[in-house]
Amino acid sequence: MEVKVLFFGVLADVAGTSVRHYGDVGSTDRLMIRIQDDFPEFIHYNFRTSVNREIVNGDVLLNDGDEVAFMPPFAGG
Amino acid sequence: MAEYLVEGPIDNELMTRLLAPPAGNFDAGATSVFIGRVRADENGGKKVVAIEYSAYDEMVNSEATKIIDQILAGFNNVKSISLIHSRGRVGAGEISLFVMVSAGHRRQAIEACSEAVELIKARLPVWKNEVYDDNSHEWKQNLPL
Repeated sequence: MEVKVLFFGVLADVAGTSVRHYGDVGSTDRLMIRIQDDFPEFIHYNFRTSVNREIVNGDVLLNDGDEVAFMPPFAGG
Repeated sequence: MAEYLVEGPIDNELMTRLLAPPAGNFDAGATSVFIGRVRADENGGKKVVAIEYSAYDEMVNSEATKIIDQILAGFNNVKSISLIHSRGRVGAGEISLFVMVSAGHRRQAIEACSEAVELIKARLPVWKNEVYDDNSHEWKQNLPL
């Protein structure tokens, strides 16, 4: 299985990209472990997580083709 | 591009078009408009010359639709809501947010417009990168009222 991961705002700068793909991650917690391995600075930022454009809390199961986004606090207006 | 986003500043032509009443529909006697502009703030001796907005386009679409539905459900006198946000570069003094609420009477138009702006600030997945006069930049967050 593979999920599409989007990074927004300052997190896109931290990741050096706005999109990556991760395979073999069964849940958001497991995905987060992989991301913190790749980008240890992630732990210093506040952010929310969405799965398929819905904000999620806690560990959420992921399926093939899901779109996960890591979003710093919103700043519209 | 999401239907609620425009590239760059919101211009007078777009606002004029949005302000025109729907053809043959004159049951809204009150319209309240909120316009958000980029401020030429100073930050550590540097002056803001522009904001570079980025957005999660697809989620802006879904969240904006939810915000409009929530306002319509909460204000039974509201007839229509328009919501436009910029993405990309908007210069200091230029417009980045346009919200317009039409209702039968003024009280609901004003209150619903105010609530819509607060919901947009809290829930629309948009981020701003302030650009300064020395070409440096910094990601900013919304402050509470």
